[in-house]
Amino acid sequence: MNFEWSEEQQAFRDKLHAFLQANLPDDWEEFSKHGPASPDLTEFARTFCRKLAENDILFPHWPREIGGAGLGPWEQQILAEVMWEWGEPRGGQYMNVNWIGPTLVRYGTEEQKSRYLPQIARGEMLWCQGFSEPNSGSDLASLRTRAVLEGDIYKVNGQKIWTSYAGLADTCFLLTRTSDDRKRGITILLVPMDTPGITVRQIPSLIGEGDIHEVFFDDVEVPVTQRFGEEGQAWEIISYSLTNERLGIPRYQLARKALDRAVTMLKDSGDFAQAPVRIEAARCAALCEAARTAIYAIVQKRVDGLAVGPESSSARFATVMAERAVSEFVVEFVPEALAGASAYLQMHHQRGIVAGIASGAAEIQLNIIAGDVLGLPREPR
Amino acid sequence: MQLSLNEDQTQILDFVDSLTRPYAAPPLHDASFALTSDQLDAELVENGFLDVMAIEELGAVTAALVVERLARLPYAVEAAASSLVRPLIDPELPRPICLVEEGQLRKPVRFLKPGATVVVVGPSGVRSFTASAEQVREPVGEVLYGYPVAYLTDIPDDARRHEVAPDEVLRAWRVALAAEAAGLLAAALQSVVTYTSERQQFGRPIATFQALRHRLAEAQVVTNGVYWLALKAAGTGDAGDAALAALHAQEAAKRVGYDYHQFLGAMGMTVEHPLHLWTYRLKLLTAELGGRGANALAAAEAIWG
Repeated sequence: MNFEWSEEQQAFRDKLHAFLQANLPDDWEEFSKHGPASPDLTEFARTFCRKLAENDILFPHWPREIGGAGLGPWEQQILAEVMWEWGEPRGGQYMNVNWIGPTLVRYGTEEQKSRYLPQIARGEMLWCQGFSEPNSGSDLASLRTRAVLEGDIYKVNGQKIWTSYAGLADTCFLLTRTSDDRKRGITILLVPMDTPGITVRQIPSLIGEGDIHEVFFDDVEVPVTQRFGEEGQAWEIISYSLTNERLGIPRYQLARKALDRAVTMLKDSGDFAQAPVRIEAARCAALCEAARTAIYAIVQKRVDGLAVGPESSSARFATVMAERAVSEFVVEFVPEALAGASAYLQMHHQRGIVAGIASGAAEIQLNIIAGDVLGLPREPR
Repeated sequence: MQLSLNEDQTQILDFVDSLTRPYAAPPLHDASFALTSDQLDAELVENGFLDVMAIEELGAVTAALVVERLARLPYAVEAAASSLVRPLIDPELPRPICLVEEGQLRKPVRFLKPGATVVVVGPSGVRSFTASAEQVREPVGEVLYGYPVAYLTDIPDDARRHEVAPDEVLRAWRVALAAEAAGLLAAALQSVVTYTSERQQFGRPIATFQALRHRLAEAQVVTNGVYWLALKAAGTGDAGDAALAALHAQEAAKRVGYDYHQFLGAMGMTVEHPLHLWTYRLKLLTAELGGRGANALAAAEAIWG
């Protein structure tokens, strides 16, 4: 075992930081404080991701045959850490490089690949994920947005909710119901967001301006050529996608940076000399580093070519604990940060609440740990 | 970054498992708070399992892995100090090694007995001596910890001074504490998982109730965190990493201790069930090195100055 970065890995991290330092605007922290899904940042990301692409750092971990540099899972993690630490200047395009691209390569038709991959590779495309519905959150397989095939057109009716990026996305990766079979009745359609019949409404939120939306589909017509995979194949495809996304966002990194930033402010004010403050800060650091090493243990499995299993839920819950602890630390000891004194800490605090809710609720992670890591007998249903 | 076990580590852990197999279950009729085995101790020494840190291709991470594995046994073994701290001071010091903080003679000392090596660590340096019968006071009354303990009556003036810096010994001590706690936490959790999966009430195993499932799942998360932080601290040799690992271990021990006994219901009040062998060791570990507050302060100092 070796817990140090290799020289090449450290150089890669330094190169990314230097690039961001040189290419982000001077008022970046203020500009990006509403998070990666805010309209301003989404718009900014369209230009910025093009720049990343031109410098070969948009998707360096992709295989060479689809335009990547063939770097490994550690580099992917470093890339994700650096970007998230800087407030995710890729905006919603992080999804493209993490899972949409690889999933397109595996399951897309030739037409779909040639249509979307070059746009993704140029850093010009924004997707949204039409997954959750008002009555299908954690129980995603109960979703009801229906797609009915009439000739060679699917007619889509229903509603999605909590959809990030929907207001500005080009295309929706949409889960629809095509039969009553719970999981095998779900089908993916790739739907241009300017298709007639789609209405997007922004939901005012605590987590940053313009992040979440509801999306209505009224007799939206989608050509059968825009079906992704076979009818009923959605569950298999999103399970595959999740293996690329399962590690989630490296929230421990931003939490740790936010903690360090809060400590700097406390040092400036002289309050970091107080033992209760120092003790609590150390507790937060332990939680951040525990989450980090738990995630790294999973990255190692990917490096070794092993299947990533339920331990990813454990690592994700560790991240939730770290996020909460740091958020509470800031409120308790640096309350001014959330009242205009630090755009960075404000951004962290707004994102922190998302950790236990998005991409599978924390309680679902605990269910998975109980059943599949600890092997406890199943709950009766 | 390379976090998988190498071939040597896998092999050593396999050896440890096969050697300790006869000791994997507590004896049926021993209902003591602290369970020890001279024979197990002798076998570990004989096979060199407490000396792996000094072997170049094995090192501190392997030593921490061995300590973690041994701590899962129902038998208490003085492995952590011998494996992870002794090599820094003098690899030849006779065991057991009893680590004592300078100025803390009121506290019970794990594994202390006449003939043991006492290592005193503090601002005035690192000293060691062999405890005589007069320097060891047996506790009066019952001991509620899962370790054999005794009190040190005094520190002789002619105790041997060692060159090593006290901070370095404290760092290694924190790694040792975290690695041992990681094994204790894992074994305690496993024993609760087994019991709650078998015990039926209301017509089904009690582990099917979410009131227990989620708390056990959270316990798994913190246990996993302690394991990785302990290994990382062993690997980097960094003072901040060591203090964070010790802090997280003590936080975890505090968090799960009462839950585990609670989940066993009335069985959690007995010595018949072996759970206490691990949790009542964790209790004493939470008092070590000044407890959570002191380790947190040490971490803050190392990280932020």
